[in-house]
Amino acid sequence: MDFNWDLLISSYAAVFNFDILLMIVIGTTAGIAGGALPGLTATMGIALLVPLTFGRPPVESIAMLMGIYCGAMYGGAISAILIRTPGTPAAAATVMEGYPMARRGEAGRAMAMALFASFFGGVFGALVMTFASPIISSFALEFGPVEYFALAIFGLSVVVSISGRSLIKGMMAAFFGLLICTMGFDPISGFPRYTFGLVEMMEGPPFIPTLIGLFAVAEVFNEVQKSGQVKQIKAKLDQYLPSWSDIKYCFKELIRSSVIGSFMGAIPGVGCDIAAFIAYGEAKRASKRPEEYGNGAIEGLAASECANNACSCGSMIPLLSLGVPGDAATAVLLGAFVIQGLQPGPMMYKDNIDIVYQILASIMLAQFAMQIIGMAGIQLFARVVLVDRKILTPTIFVLCMVGAYAMRSNIFDVYTTLFFGITGYMMMRYDFPLSPILLAMILGPMAEANLRRAMVISSGDPAILVSRPLAVILMVLAVLSMIFAVRGHRKVEARLAALGEQLANITEGEDEEGEEEKED
Amino acid sequence: MKKADIIAGIIGILIGTYAIVEGTRMPTDAIMKIGPSFFPILLASFLILFSVILILNAFLGRSKGEVTPWNIADKGVQRGLITLIAGTVYCVLMAPLGFIISSILFLVYMMWMLGNRKPLTLATAPPIITISTWLLFEKVLNLSLPPGLLENLI
Repeated sequence: MDFNWDLLISSYAAVFNFDILLMIVIGTTAGIAGGALPGLTATMGIALLVPLTFGRPPVESIAMLMGIYCGAMYGGAISAILIRTPGTPAAAATVMEGYPMARRGEAGRAMAMALFASFFGGVFGALVMTFASPIISSFALEFGPVEYFALAIFGLSVVVSISGRSLIKGMMAAFFGLLICTMGFDPISGFPRYTFGLVEMMEGPPFIPTLIGLFAVAEVFNEVQKSGQVKQIKAKLDQYLPSWSDIKYCFKELIRSSVIGSFMGAIPGVGCDIAAFIAYGEAKRASKRPEEYGNGAIEGLAASECANNACSCGSMIPLLSLGVPGDAATAVLLGAFVIQGLQPGPMMYKDNIDIVYQILASIMLAQFAMQIIGMAGIQLFARVVLVDRKILTPTIFVLCMVGAYAMRSNIFDVYTTLFFGITGYMMMRYDFPLSPILLAMILGPMAEANLRRAMVISSGDPAILVSRPLAVILMVLAVLSMIFAVRGHRKVEARLAALGEQLANITEGEDEEGEEEKED
Repeated sequence: MKKADIIAGIIGILIGTYAIVEGTRMPTDAIMKIGPSFFPILLASFLILFSVILILNAFLGRSKGEVTPWNIADKGVQRGLITLIAGTVYCVLMAPLGFIISSILFLVYMMWMLGNRKPLTLATAPPIITISTWLLFEKVLNLSLPPGLLENLI
């Protein structure tokens, strides 16, 4: 197939527009700050910032979202290095090398490398994504209701891989989410279901308020229970770019982790936290001095940060082409796309390939914005880490409610947010994963509407579901992904347990010196 | 964890049962065979199935994870409950009092409750945060927030 250079160049040119560039800059800055704030995860940051994009045209708001997403991925490293709290799950591996480096007084070196590695991985991932697009668009076949139904089932099978510790609880959360989205008008007959007689429920539970409730308000309730101040490592941050010798020293890791990250990202259902860990593990395995890992090995830090940004770009491939998110953050992003009237999926590559390229261009520019803003604001972002939680936590709650209210100017949405905040908090407390609910809310309506449409076409004969080859392939893939996920689950759990121990060891070593008071 | 899993399972079964009972009251579709109730009933059945498995696992001692029990004497739990109540009151008062007044009150109370007792911070931070949020949404993004009591002023 031919690569459409004209389209690529014109899409990039379209993004070089003052408004869009401004949105990328604002988004990236907000993303870095959001990722760096302890107690504010990247997912939560995106959920909170989505309302800011409501009034903007789709391309501008998507540019901003990409900025937020990429910025938050790097921002997570700042709090990982300075206060040993990964701002995003994907930065957990960064803590293991970044924090010991900061304690040695090399915070500046670590921050400079984290930023550069993020940039390197991001650019690499964005390039992979750009050149993989025509291959995907050639796959954008005639998708009918049956294929869409199968695609939704495949997407839902991803639930297993994001359901955390208990598969049963993940399944319960997914079916609960699917049930929630059957509320409101039936997509085929228009019969109102489970509306409790409320007019506001006729269109089902409002998406953004539900999302903010589950991922931000629930976290606030969780956050106020913790107390104690985190102490930041006092360090001079006088380095903006890693030294040439550091880059040369880590170059192999940067390349390897970029490839691992982009590749892992492209697999539906693999989140960036997993990609970062695999890259970190590979770097350690390949290292000539593996004993340095855990004591501030700069190449380990580079591997982790590079892979998580490469992965965040790579994960755009399944997100845009299949509409299947890899983790909670991309699931929120998917929701934000839908709010903007863009339905990611095969049709997007067929009908709106220009928008796909503009998204790619925005991601690429967001990497440059991240490098520049990250260097310019290094002192400021390091201070963001220290924001008083006693002020920050209630403020986040207020922002949640504002975001929920703003879209429809309806107080009902505020109550919905509160309801899902409480529900989410209770679920979190009892180890129920929240991401499956979100995934179910996105894919559920797609599954139901297309299943019913297919049934209308076949006059009620279920055999139609296995009549199309592509649909059968997708369903088989769904079953396979379930099986692999169940089998892989135990391995992942063992790895996580090992990691938890390692982190605990670092913490213990620290606590002995009495630098930190923590009473969760 | 065992008790928690059993309660969670029972809640799942209750939600599923409600969905099924409501579903049976929905009109059936003679032509398409599957009507509005088909999908919800199917999903509710799976929810009940997994809830039952969760309860069975709990009885068989296969529950995973640890949960610290609710302890009202614990300061963290108290803060969580107070935040929950304060948050609910804030949401209820937002429409009648308006965004600005209710948010300032909420922020002052929450900051005080979380242990920030410095008068200067309590007097300055909430109004600054509230008014800058209001300006951002009302003036920059053109999205309206509830005016409440200040309707004629702003």
